[in-house]
Formats: sequence, structure tokens, C-alpha cells
Amino acid sequence: MKKTFTLAIALLMVTTMAFAGGNADASSDGSFTPTRDVTWTCTSSPGGGSDIFTQEIKESIRLNGFSDANIVIDYVTDGGGEVGRLEVSRMTGPRADHTILTFNSGDLMPMCLNTNNRIENFKPLALMASDNHFLCSGDMSKYHSFQEIIDALARGERIVIAGSKGDDIETYNALLKSLGVDETQLAYVTNDSTSSAITSLLGGHVDLVLGKQASCEQYIIAERMFPMVALCEDRFTSDLLKDMPTITEFGYEACDVPNWRGIVAPKAMSEAAADYWAECFRQVTETPEWDEYITRNGLVPMYMDRASTVQFMTEFQQSYLQSIGKDK
Amino acid sequence: MENFAMLFHGFGVVFTPTNIGACLLGSILGLIVGAMPGIGSLAGVALLLPLTYKFDPTTAIIMLGALYYSNMYGGAFSAILLNIPGDSPAVMTAVDGYPMATVKKRPGQALMTANASSCIGGIIGMLILVILGPALAEIGLKFGYAEMMVLLLVAMTSIGWLVGGNPVQGVLLTFIGILVASIGMDVQTGSPRYDFGNIYLLGGVEFIPFVIGTVGFAQLMQLMDEKDIKVKSVDMKLTIRGSMLTAHDYKRLLGPSVRAGLMGTFVGVLPGAGATSAAFLGYAMQKAFKSEEPLGTGAIEGIAASESANNAAAAGSFAPLLALGIPGSGTGAVLLGGLMMWGLNPGPLLFTNDPDFAWGLIASLFVSNIFALAISLGVIPMLLRILQVPIKLLIPVVMVVCFVGAYASTYSMFGVMIMLIAGVCGYVFDKNGYSTAPMLLAFVLAPLLEDNMRKAFIRTAGDISDVFFGSAIATVLTLVLIFICAFPVVRTILIKTGKYTPKKKG
Repeated sequence: MKKTFTLAIALLMVTTMAFAGGNADASSDGSFTPTRDVTWTCTSSPGGGSDIFTQEIKESIRLNGFSDANIVIDYVTDGGGEVGRLEVSRMTGPRADHTILTFNSGDLMPMCLNTNNRIENFKPLALMASDNHFLCSGDMSKYHSFQEIIDALARGERIVIAGSKGDDIETYNALLKSLGVDETQLAYVTNDSTSSAITSLLGGHVDLVLGKQASCEQYIIAERMFPMVALCEDRFTSDLLKDMPTITEFGYEACDVPNWRGIVAPKAMSEAAADYWAECFRQVTETPEWDEYITRNGLVPMYMDRASTVQFMTEFQQSYLQSIGKDK
Repeated sequence: MENFAMLFHGFGVVFTPTNIGACLLGSILGLIVGAMPGIGSLAGVALLLPLTYKFDPTTAIIMLGALYYSNMYGGAFSAILLNIPGDSPAVMTAVDGYPMATVKKRPGQALMTANASSCIGGIIGMLILVILGPALAEIGLKFGYAEMMVLLLVAMTSIGWLVGGNPVQGVLLTFIGILVASIGMDVQTGSPRYDFGNIYLLGGVEFIPFVIGTVGFAQLMQLMDEKDIKVKSVDMKLTIRGSMLTAHDYKRLLGPSVRAGLMGTFVGVLPGAGATSAAFLGYAMQKAFKSEEPLGTGAIEGIAASESANNAAAAGSFAPLLALGIPGSGTGAVLLGGLMMWGLNPGPLLFTNDPDFAWGLIASLFVSNIFALAISLGVIPMLLRILQVPIKLLIPVVMVVCFVGAYASTYSMFGVMIMLIAGVCGYVFDKNGYSTAPMLLAFVLAPLLEDNMRKAFIRTAGDISDVFFGSAIATVLTLVLIFICAFPVVRTILIKTGKYTPKKKG
């Protein structure tokens, strides 16, 4: 009796352990279907640009039935978002197939600067959109065209630009190289957000703002700010900014470091799950809601599939690590 | 007059069943969110935002605006009754509110004072918002990096008023506050500071768990330390009638409320200052004025100053948001995100292009002020019952509130750790007679000061004369700063040399 009981207990334990790994998510044909709640980690606070991006995609997936999974957004903002990124990168087991992370260039740069976490610890799924930079003057600025800026720099005048963090700082550094001036002559004030930078421009406390279309649009329409020069290769296509010249038209190299918005997963996510999610995101980019989101926020559509996203993010990281001297 | 005509038009927008319902719901939610430590207006608005996706934008902003505004009322409840601020702007309310409720056995009057002064401060802020409107936002724009830096230096001198009898203790705690605030990423370069290789410290120390620990958890530890634990915290009959303020009480709260209301509106308009800074400064300013009882011992003036200032600042922060599309606080930034989600274009043209929206929101603030006041007064008898719970039962409940509040504000156990460490430190400070108010004020103001100071020096290429005397506003503020710093020194020298004899009191 004792032996039978021991055997029964042992069998029960073995069975429990076998199923503790979770249900098999991959069906017989190797495809993936979510079998539990999906955690979508957002390392920025609710209400910001990253959150709205995440909410838009989640809502589109639900509305259009691209996935039946219950997606729950988890805000993990500890350590400037590094805790959330580290947690996702280390996720293993079945949870890895049910975890995704909003990942922008503004996340990659501080991650590389302050931690040893790298894009190789994730599985990039899709690149969705990007934002390009341009310089703006304000109604109290001394300078009203890029030519005036070039002339002023040639005369040795000091000019102050205000902008945000992350890709804005990198764009500013690229602008210094492109114009061949140093930071004492073309100074940069880092703000928490572009709206803070705009505040200082409208008050006449800085000369220029490094902005993006969504954040500057209303001020340009109200003629409180004036678009001066696009820092990318090609002109903007929107009606509002199509007349703005590019920096290349003045004979300088393009220097925009675009703010791209993407989605990654834990490195341990299975190939089947990665394909499943990547397909969901591709479908989202083909919906009218997505087009409306892109237009409303003045973004550039930039969808890339998994392979292209891996290549793009890896090259971006390599270039950034080089620029901060951490490429060895 | 045109602005008042638009305000009445705004009332027309608000007084529809849907919008009134949204305003009432927002007010109730705001009071609940405000009363629950750790959640606060930022999380409350952010959590509710996705639910308003499909709302009409005006209805949505009316609900969220009411939530934000009435949150300022709710924060005072737990600050007064439990010594745990419901949200960060209520920190200074606890300093006098809790002693008034427990030591002076006037909890109902403490809540009434908070409600009345919140209402006065709010009305002042809203009236200034209506009269000056976009012009108010333009005034805020005049305060650049240098002006903000000198203003914050002036504000930092108010720590001297909070130090109390022992300046050395006060200075020590001020420096601790500055040190703790400097943990995290460097504001300009983004490089880590004092993180000791700990990834959690990269994001810095959050204010809410820090203050719940320093004020609330430390208080709990003191209660546990008391031997006579069987005693009820307030052994008296608590009724709404017994909670009414006397005419003398109203006289006492009116002056501080009006002064702090004016100051709070101004602080609310300034870029990045917010309701918490306003509450601290309102309280510190009251220290410079006469109060019938010493502040910190349960004075009506202390509660009135901080509550009026934070409500006025909440109203004032709508000026840059509506007139320029510039958020004056973290909650304002979330509201701005909401405007974009609803398909509106926040910016200088909002008043012109969407007057129904802008003036409807302003009018709804008046309505939510009335709703929040009425509901707050209505729930006083229920709230007062908390104080009749025996302390031995209250302690575990409040402890859970501290843990949940610390967790809710950070969504992680790191917040709970901060709360526990701050609680132990706060307990040690209290036991040794150190007032933690200077530390909290330094914690709030130091990051703002550092940020603006570094920007001002980048802006001027390190030219000190340009920083302090580069504009008329900076010059006036610098002269005020010099006067505040030099006055005690000159006075002492004059007394020592016999050239001045201070009048004896009485």
C-alpha cells in the first residue's frame, strides 16, 4: 500500500512537472497561437508618445481581430526604463512567447550608454515608423533663415539650440560635424521634452529649436515658430513643411538621426511566436487607423519586416556605440 | 469682459446632462484617487485616458480636468487623518493637519479648513485664468532658465523658515534632501549618478514613496513605539455640526488662502513648477506672516496656505496648456497626449479654433470645484470615523496603505523599498527632534534648480552677470535674493555694534 501510494505521488509529481512548463503553444504545423495573457512592456510613463504608440497598435490588433490574445500593457519605468528592458531581455520559457516590448531609438541609446544590455539580447520584430528632425526659429528669434545662421556662425556669433534627449542630442552632434563648428559656438540645451524646448524658444531664451512635425505643427500654423531647415536628405512631404529646404541644399551633409519606433521581444521567443507577432504588426500598418495615427502625429511610415528590422537596429546600435566610444 | 462672455458660453457647453455627468464622475474619481496614497493625479488621469478614447473630446477633457482638479481636495484627507499625504501636493497639509486632528482634537475643523481653503485657492486660480487667459501663459514664457534659477534660489531661502530652532539640523537635512534628489541620471548629459551599479537607482528616487516613508511610515513606527496603544486616537463624538469652523477660524484662514492662492496660480503657470512646489512655497511663505499658533503645531493658517496654493496651481497650470499647448506639470503632459489622441491640435490656436473645448474646460473647473467641495463636506462624518478606530487596529491597515501607495506610485517593489528606507530614516530623525520638512522641500526644489542652473549657464556660456542680470526679471529677483540673504547678517551686525535695538515682544 505504502509503495503504491509513493508511486502514485511520484507519478503525480512527474505529471505536474511536465505540465508546469505550460501548454504547448506551437500547433502541429509549427505555427503559434497565444494561450495566455500577453504582456506588452512599455518603459515610458502612461500618456506619453511611446504609450500612445503602444495603445494604438494594441487597439488596432483588437479591433481588426489580428489576434485573439488579451494584451495587457505593463508600464515598467524603473531605472529610466532599463529595468523593464533588462527583464524582457532575460525572459525565458513560455512567457517569452507572450512578452513584447515597445522599443524606440530613444530607448536604445540610453541602454547602450548606461548598461551592458544590447539589441542582441532581444528579438526585433518590426519597425513601424520614424520621425525626422528640422530646425525652427521663433517669433522672438534673431535669425529667420538657415543662411542667416550660416553667416552668423561664420562671423563667430554664438547660437543656442534647444531640443529634447536621445535622438535629438545625436542629431545635434551630427549637425556640429556637418557644419564644422564646435559646441561652444553652437550650444545645445537638453530638455526633458520638445515642448519644454519650445517653451524656451517662445520666451526668446534660445535661438532655435530642434523639433519634429507633431510637436511643432500648431506653433508653425499660428506663426509663432518658423521652419528653417530639414536635417534629412529629402524634403518633408506634408503641405506644411514641403517648402522647407533641406540642409543638403545648402551644401552640407544630411545629419538627421531619426527617432524610429519599433517593437522587440525577448531573445528566447520562439521563431513561430516571433513570426506570429511580426505578422500582426504588419497587418496593423495596413489599416486606416494606422494611416490616421501616422498623419496625426506627423510621422514617416517606415515598416520593416523581421530580417530588415534586425539589420537596421543592429547597424544603428553599432553606429551609436562608435559615436560614444563604446564599440570595442 | 469678452473673456467672461466666453466663460458663460463655456458654462453653456458644460450644462448638458452628459458633460455634467462626466464632471461629477471626474470629481468623485479625483477625490478617491487623491485620497488613496501613491496614486495621485498623474496616474489617475493616465489610467483613465484610454477609456476616454471614444468620448467626445469636450466630455473627455471635462472628466479628466475634473479628476485632476478634485484630486487636490482628496489628497488632504489622508494627510490630515493618517499623516500620509494622498498625493505629493498634500505633503505640507499633513504638517499642520495631522496635529490639528489628533493633538488638538479638531479633525473635522482640519478637514473643513482644507476644503474651504482649497475652494478659495481654486476660485482665485480660475478667475485669474479667465481674466488673463493667454496673457497669463505669455507671462510664464518670460521666465527662462536664468529667471527660473534665481526664482528657485529665492524659494530655497524659504528653507530657512522651515528649519525651526536648530539651523545646523535644518541645513544637514537640506543637504540630505539634495543628495537623495541627485540620484539617477544627470539632467543634461544623461549619465548615471550615485547609482552604485544598481539599475533601479538609474531612474532616481521617486518622490511619492519617499514622502510616504518619511512622513507616513515614520509616524506609524512612532505609534507602534508608544506603550499606551489601547487608547483611541480621538476619543470624542465626531459630527458634521461639531466639525464646523467658527467665524474666527474663517478669519484666520482667509488671509493665508488668498495670499497662497495668488502665489500658487503664478507658480502653476511657470514651466515645470507644479502644484507640489506651490504647496511648499505657500506654506513657507506663510512662515513669513503672522499665524495665531506656531506653524507645525496644528495651525489653521498652515493647512490653508498649502491647500489653497496647490489648488490655485492646478488651475493656473491650465493657462500654458490651453493657451500654448505647453504642459505645466506631468499631469498636464498626459492631458496634452489626450488632446492629440482625441484628434485636437493643442497649441496657440486652441482658444481660436476650439473655443467650446477650451472655455468648456475652464467652466467645468468651476463646476468641479463646487462638486468637489460639496462631496468633500458630505463625506466628512464618514472620514472622521477613521479616527475612532483603535490605534492597534489602525496601524496594520495604514501599514497596508503605505505599502500599496508606495507600490502604486512606481508599479514596482523598488518603491516599497524606498518607502521602508525613508520610513526608518524619518523615524530616526523624528526621534532625535529633526524636522524633515526642509529635506522634503530641498528634494522637490533641488532638481528644478539644478536643471535650470545648468541650462542658464549653457545659455550664457557661463557668464554670471548675464545669468543674474541678463533681464529685468532676473535683476529684480537677484536683488530680492540679495536682500533676503543679507538682511539677517546686516541686522545681526547692527545689533552687535549697538546701532539697532530690536523691539521686545509684549
